[in-house]
Amino acid sequence: MSSVTTQIEDERPSSLWRDAWKRLRRNKLALTGLGVIAVLVIFAAFGPWLTPYDFLSQNLDARNLAPSLSHPFGTDDLGRDVASRVIYGARTAFLVAVLVTAIALAIGVLLGAIAGFYGGTFDKVLMWVTDMTMSVPQLLLVVVINASLKQPITLWMEARYLATMNPIWRNGAIIDFALVFGSMAIISWPPYARLVRAQVLSIRNRPYVTAARALGLTNRLILMRYVLPNAMGALIVAVSAGLGTAMVLESAFSFLGVGVNPPTPSWGNMISDGLRVWTNYPHLLVAPAAVLAVVTVAFNFLGDGLNDALNPKGQK
Amino acid sequence: MTALLDIKGLTIDIARDTGPARVVDGIDLVVNEGESLGIVGESGCGKSLTMLSLVGLLPNRIKATGGTAQFGGADLLKMSPRELRKLRGAEIGFIFQDPMTSLNPVMRIGDQIAEALIYQTGMAKPAALTRAGELLELVGIPSPRDRLMSYPHELSGGMRQRVMIAIGLAGSPRLLIADEPTTALDVTIQAQIVDLVRELKDRLNMAVVWITHDLALIAGLADRIAVLYAGTVVEDAPVSTIFEKPSHPYTRGLLGSLPTLTDQPMSRLPSIGGTPPEPGRRPPGCPFAPRCALAIAACSAAVPRLTAVPGSDPRHRVACIVTTGQSEAAA
Amino acid sequence: MNAPLITIENLKKRFDIRMGAFGEKAASVHALDDFTADIIEGETFSLVGESGCGKSTTGFCILNLQRPSGGRVIYKGTDLATLDEDGMRPFRRDLQIVFQDPYSTLNPRMTIGEALSEPILFHGLATKAELPARLTRLLADVGLSQRFASRYPHELSGGQRQRVAIARALACEPRFIVCDEAISALDVSVQAQILNLLLDLQEKYKLTYLFIAHDLAVVRHISDRVGVMYLGRLAELAPAQALFATPLHPYTRALLSAVPEANPHAAQTRQRLQGEVPSPLNPPSGCRFHTRCPLARDTCRATVPPLREVAPGHRVACHAVTSATTTNWEPVSA
Repeated sequence: MSSVTTQIEDERPSSLWRDAWKRLRRNKLALTGLGVIAVLVIFAAFGPWLTPYDFLSQNLDARNLAPSLSHPFGTDDLGRDVASRVIYGARTAFLVAVLVTAIALAIGVLLGAIAGFYGGTFDKVLMWVTDMTMSVPQLLLVVVINASLKQPITLWMEARYLATMNPIWRNGAIIDFALVFGSMAIISWPPYARLVRAQVLSIRNRPYVTAARALGLTNRLILMRYVLPNAMGALIVAVSAGLGTAMVLESAFSFLGVGVNPPTPSWGNMISDGLRVWTNYPHLLVAPAAVLAVVTVAFNFLGDGLNDALNPKGQK
Repeated sequence: MTALLDIKGLTIDIARDTGPARVVDGIDLVVNEGESLGIVGESGCGKSLTMLSLVGLLPNRIKATGGTAQFGGADLLKMSPRELRKLRGAEIGFIFQDPMTSLNPVMRIGDQIAEALIYQTGMAKPAALTRAGELLELVGIPSPRDRLMSYPHELSGGMRQRVMIAIGLAGSPRLLIADEPTTALDVTIQAQIVDLVRELKDRLNMAVVWITHDLALIAGLADRIAVLYAGTVVEDAPVSTIFEKPSHPYTRGLLGSLPTLTDQPMSRLPSIGGTPPEPGRRPPGCPFAPRCALAIAACSAAVPRLTAVPGSDPRHRVACIVTTGQSEAAA
Repeated sequence: MNAPLITIENLKKRFDIRMGAFGEKAASVHALDDFTADIIEGETFSLVGESGCGKSTTGFCILNLQRPSGGRVIYKGTDLATLDEDGMRPFRRDLQIVFQDPYSTLNPRMTIGEALSEPILFHGLATKAELPARLTRLLADVGLSQRFASRYPHELSGGQRQRVAIARALACEPRFIVCDEAISALDVSVQAQILNLLLDLQEKYKLTYLFIAHDLAVVRHISDRVGVMYLGRLAELAPAQALFATPLHPYTRALLSAVPEANPHAAQTRQRLQGEVPSPLNPPSGCRFHTRCPLARDTCRATVPPLREVAPGHRVACHAVTSATTTNWEPVSA
């Protein structure tokens, strides 16, 4: 046999993921973004143990205080600690963003992958649905969903409370969250579905997929092991951007009063409150707005960095 | 014969995250007036980069880091981007491999050629369009006046490559660099393009540098051939010498591994084992030594220089200490 | 002569181009028309021709990787052309393919070992315990050391990747491999290595190849029989030796004379084909080659020439060729 012994260095094999991580690590902006997000995640997760004050406890003797050592962001018109409320707002924002993105992603990946891989009528119908959803203004859709569903759900829950006397049915925050999650997921999944479909469409014609078909592998196996892993890069970039967008959306809806309602703190409703008194107490507006801006920028930096790290063709 | 282009000690580096990696390592090359030079080598040997570096068209992160390239009394490597832009097309024409991506898809053929002419010669638009028609006729495009109004996608691959050649010739260059212009074409179209370039070279009295990996193609095309390996010239000789008395083991290996229309079917072709070194992982000494059947210890000691081959054509030079007998002299 | 391994009868492939909101058929590309041939067990059957001639489509249709629009592909008494993906699965093991581009033919997210294990485990050709030994043997078969198993495709050179692609085809223990331009993208010195490897493997495992290529020198080197295709049809089909010694179809002759020779003193008096291959969207009537053929006359424009046997095993589709020695028509001067 005309065997050609090809020399190969004994070093750790570099997988594409490891290479991407190496590239990401060299990107200062993306690392900064990642750091900011990490800090916020820690605050969101351990907020109640980190904040010096309860976000709900009012202190009418200490209303509208300017930022000081004991209240870094000051206090609001009910004497609540703004820093604690911003930290709790991070909790709201992350909870909404992660859950909404997870729901949207699950729907989007499933439908997009099936549509892209199998095509046919299902694909056509899905594309019509996404086109329609994406052509209705997002805000309008959310307002309509909230307005039409909030009343009946509240009534139903009140009835459950009267029947069981379980106080959980009187917790208005649950309705707020469910409606915010639900309506935001409904406006968020079509872009994921389209992205996954486009990725799958391009990947399923790559020679390595044809090769897998030629090996006789089943469609399911091909989709799971050959197609989806290769769509992952684009999906991760989209998710990173999507998380940021979802946070902004949640704030926007809460700002307009269709999202999370007081007293549950959300950056959106805090900005809304702060806006009313900003000439007198600017810190009530600046604190939540600045944090929201910083987080949004952080997600953008991370998204750009991930894009460069996962699709390095642009630089060579 | 006078030298039109004289490259000495050219080095080109790729900026890698781990530091610069050398892709072209001290190339010496001369192109004479009116000569047809073939540059032959496998992918990654630096044959295209060498030529691109001369006209300032190297991709990002790749830079010429040393050497000189005299052309018409000036050093191309020291020219400003502005000067090089003037030179491109006017003095040095380029034809690229892929005629589809090298043409602007939303611009009419005539306008693309006219634009090059206006830029290079300052002629007026109507005159430039007339000249564009003449150029299309020159490169053998049927009904050239009508074709001026066509868009690239309306032409076949062979026709597009003819348009690219017309653009390359727009400024009546003294040197035409053809970078694998037929690789993307079918064999019958390749034959047409090869005939065309050969004929144009004689008619327009320009020098042609033909970059290719196809030894058989270059045989009927070049006056002289330079064989590149891992960023260095390993052999440089008149075309008949290369094919009849190849001296470098790599050239011999390449020629031997080529199936021909006259060899023994089903026989095993003598092949060169292994693969060329990656940029930045060049072995010490002769870069071909690890794959070379004739290699001796001295080969890895120092990079061999191009030297005349005893008893061969005076223009025959090779970078190998074994086949030129330098190893015995040293021993 | 051995028995046919695969019998192909009137194989056709048409691609419909659909446009508009409801996907009306706007046009169709006749990529492959009436391809009929036997592939003999143990031989290398090559298909040559220029881009768009349908040679790759033929390979894909035989393997049912593209569904034929008509005709039959008989393997082991079954017509593969009628089978769906599930029906094909038992046959996939026997019938394998190696693609042109070694850069895109391997899943970038899988190590070489994973890529090779997949078909072995899926088809139950080895147990988990036997797998490492099987992988080592497979890699050795294609001239790679067992250390490559933990590598990812992007760490390999083009030639090494093509070896892995061949190993993946071999992993199924096939009888038949379609080599679809399998060496076209490789450098000259690597091309020779892979060509030798294919010859070695054929000997060792008694493989049958359908070798699809555009490089005639390579085809001549490796083939037992060669089919020349033009715009979706077989123009000439002959034993390799006969085809290269006495090409009969005017297209085959032109193709051969366009091959550059590695000899600077070779006579440059070549026969040149004028023009280019017409669009398969709207192929010429009659003989599809008539628009470029120096011999073409009215019959050629009107009727499709049948693929006639003019010498043992030598079939030609040309009105002008009726025997193996003479072309009785003179070129028509334009």
